[in-house]
Amino acid sequence: MDATLLLNTSTLLTLTIILTPILLPLITKTPPNSPPTITRYVKTAFIISLIPMTLFMYLGTESIISNWEWKFIMNFKIPLSFKIDQYSSMFLPIALFVTWSILQFALWYMASEPYITKFFSYLLIFLITMLLLTTANNMFLLFIGWEGVGIMSFLLIGWWHARAEANTAALQAVLYNRIGDIGLILSVAWLASTMNTWEIQQAFLPSQTPTLPLLGLILAATGKSAQFGLHPWLPAAMEGPTPVSALLHSSTMVVAGIFLLIRTHPMLATNPTALTLCLCLGALSTLFAATCALTQNDIKKIIAFSTSSQLGLMMVTIGLNLPQLAFFHISTHAFFKAMLFLCSGSIIHNLNGEQDIRKMGSLQKTLPTTTSCLTIGNLALMGTPFLAGFYSKDLIIENLNTSYLNSWALLLTLLATSFTATYSLRLTILVQTGHTRLPPITPINENNPLITNPITRLALGSILAGFLITSFILPSKTPPMTMPPITKFAAILVTLLGIILALELSNMTHTFTHPQQNTPFNFSSSLGYFNPLTHRISSSNLLNTGQKIATHLIDLSWYKKIGPEGLADLQRIMSETSTPMHSGLIKTYLSTFALSILIILIFH
Amino acid sequence: MNPHAKLITTASLILGTTITITSNHWAMAWTGLEINTIAIIPMISKSHHPRAIEATIKYFLVQAAASASILFSSLINAWSTGQWDITQLTNPTSCLLLTAAIAMKLGLVPFHFWFPEVLQGSSLTTALLLSTAMKFPPITILLLTSNSLNPPLLTLMAVASAALGGWTGLNQTQLRKILAFSSISHLGWMTIIIIYAPKLTLLTFLLYTLLTSAIFLSLNTSHTTKLSTLMTSWTKTPMLNATLMLILLSLAGLPPFIGFLPKWLIIQELTKQEMTSTALTLALLSLLSLFFYLRLAYSSSITLPPNSTNQTKHWYTNKNANPLIAILTSLSILLLPLSPLILPTI
Repeated sequence: MDATLLLNTSTLLTLTIILTPILLPLITKTPPNSPPTITRYVKTAFIISLIPMTLFMYLGTESIISNWEWKFIMNFKIPLSFKIDQYSSMFLPIALFVTWSILQFALWYMASEPYITKFFSYLLIFLITMLLLTTANNMFLLFIGWEGVGIMSFLLIGWWHARAEANTAALQAVLYNRIGDIGLILSVAWLASTMNTWEIQQAFLPSQTPTLPLLGLILAATGKSAQFGLHPWLPAAMEGPTPVSALLHSSTMVVAGIFLLIRTHPMLATNPTALTLCLCLGALSTLFAATCALTQNDIKKIIAFSTSSQLGLMMVTIGLNLPQLAFFHISTHAFFKAMLFLCSGSIIHNLNGEQDIRKMGSLQKTLPTTTSCLTIGNLALMGTPFLAGFYSKDLIIENLNTSYLNSWALLLTLLATSFTATYSLRLTILVQTGHTRLPPITPINENNPLITNPITRLALGSILAGFLITSFILPSKTPPMTMPPITKFAAILVTLLGIILALELSNMTHTFTHPQQNTPFNFSSSLGYFNPLTHRISSSNLLNTGQKIATHLIDLSWYKKIGPEGLADLQRIMSETSTPMHSGLIKTYLSTFALSILIILIFH
Repeated sequence: MNPHAKLITTASLILGTTITITSNHWAMAWTGLEINTIAIIPMISKSHHPRAIEATIKYFLVQAAASASILFSSLINAWSTGQWDITQLTNPTSCLLLTAAIAMKLGLVPFHFWFPEVLQGSSLTTALLLSTAMKFPPITILLLTSNSLNPPLLTLMAVASAALGGWTGLNQTQLRKILAFSSISHLGWMTIIIIYAPKLTLLTFLLYTLLTSAIFLSLNTSHTTKLSTLMTSWTKTPMLNATLMLILLSLAGLPPFIGFLPKWLIIQELTKQEMTSTALTLALLSLLSLFFYLRLAYSSSITLPPNSTNQTKHWYTNKNANPLIAILTSLSILLLPLSPLILPTI
């Protein structure tokens, strides 16, 4: 059997399967979809998508499928083409696996939601656009997917649209994403005008790529992947339901920006400026997010900042010119982050809507499965040896340590790694250990298989994914083989440091009676003062400029003062000046005449 | 007015004008001008109103001063050249003084101050005479001496007349004063072109006479002298009101009407003489007079007045409409297509 044919068929079959629940009701009069049906569709699609992944792992098969061409301009080809290479053939099963688990969880989480079918349909449409983004071979399809995930993010964050904070959060997400889109459109336009193509394979120059389109791509990634500068939307996006946070804002949508940079990495590889920018931006983002996560009290916000920090780490990897490693981290991160969110969802629902970790405690005994998987997820996040996160994170830090690059970025990343350990341990201690701080009557029940099955499935993935991927996928760049022991253990050492620090600090909270306010705490808990500063300043500047240009300059100045009204005013002034000259006094007149004649005669 | 007095006055006017027009000698020209001055005085002071008397005195003083200046200029010329021929004015001082004197007679800036008050003090028909008939002899002298006049001075006076006529006229509500300023403005147009194409001056003057007569006679029919009265004139003479608007627009120089012809030809001639900026300035300044013509047209025909009228139409049984109005109105509105006939004849 031809491997390529099997690859193409199974990939297209996967994509068609997940399209079916959306398209079929439009064509025929079938009974409406139900949430379990949609879950089953996604499960089937996952199983089918294992075929291309296996084919790639064993035979190294990659292909590009081009079907239809949009004949819009004669000498510019925009085909509908899918690329099935290492990245998309691996991302497809992982995304589908995570989505399947999340949908199954959502069957329980959103059970009391009247529009649950619409919710599931939204999630499905999101998945379709995300997979379109990852399998796109040209920038046109990628852009369609990009915009699609942006729109679905908006709709899903604002799912409970009667809540004002949800609406503002959704709008914030759209606005920040839009700023990133400017960068994407810039680079897409540059590609079209300079390279006369939108296919990424044709866009590589042997010499250094100009910095402008790369800046555009980095801006797009900053917007979509919540790097520092365009990051506030990600914590705010926690207003959406937990399945949405798990799917969009941990595993799939936020990695779209990093994925874009991975896809276009040969363009980046030749330009050191762009690489340094990625490195520093990523380092800054990871440290900033980790700092903010230290003092958050909302469980979902902590996990959101953790996501933001890991995205910064992925950006750092791109800056090190290691796209495959970044993708590896995306894959492993998807598992444990989605699981962390699902655990938090289970906790929240079981505690009847309580999200503040200061009001939780001792859940290890009452929610054993959930909290065990929470622990596994946190350990994987911290980079505990031989769990999923270790393989990608440790490798990134080893590469960072052994490369001749910006040492400031290195320092920031190491610091962020220790902070990761700190806040993860803080989360674990406050949620799972100690005396309970819950209200007395809290009926806690996690015996529903709809909760436990997804979470345990993802826990399995968190444990095994790293090992499996490293075993089967060969690295395209040589990893660093030798280094001094201290460098080798650097990541673990800083993680241990962070753990010890967290334990020490939590000890102090039991013994101190009078907590003092201090500047670092304020900086961390108010998210670096970024939100009030930028949101207020930028919008007031924009509105003021708008008023100056539209009202003052155009309306008042051009249309009135300099234009008609100013002219009429001038005439009025002249008229007012010349009318009193006719005073009626004949002597004045005659003297004027005489004076005029005198002047005329003198001048001659 | 006493019929005898009217006869003598009218006959003197005709005599004075004829003498000036047909003269070759400066003394005859001066005589005609003086006869005109004296003859019109009873007409201005006909109503024995203090304002009319004041207007009479002002008119007399200014015109006498102007005539004396004309005489002085001809004397200076006779002293230096030894001849009294009107067309052979060569002494430069004489030319300057004559330019100033004629400007004073006509009412060009800066010698225009007397004109609005004199017009305001006289009745509408006398105002008509003052604007048209009394300007004819000075214009004739201007035409005869056109190559002896001082070009920069004339241009300056002309542009200033158009400007001041426009600006001061914007602030008026009395119709006679408005028409005085319109006259000053038109005189500006007339004098700018006299050096280059005197025929155009004559054309402008004749058409101006036509239009002004039409306006004054129409206003006389409904006895309107101010803007507020004009607003209710539609009740008295609706047809005349409508044609009044058209004549005003013609006076402003709008294309389908005859008033456009002189402006067009003057601008053409000025452009040929490489005086485009002057032409532009003049055209822009006549926009000001267009504004107050439009205001008149607006308040007479385009809007209904804010003050209430007792009934929709006032019945006037003794409408003393001058039959001349019909001819003059028709000519002033419809004459433009006949301009190829007009041009070779002047």
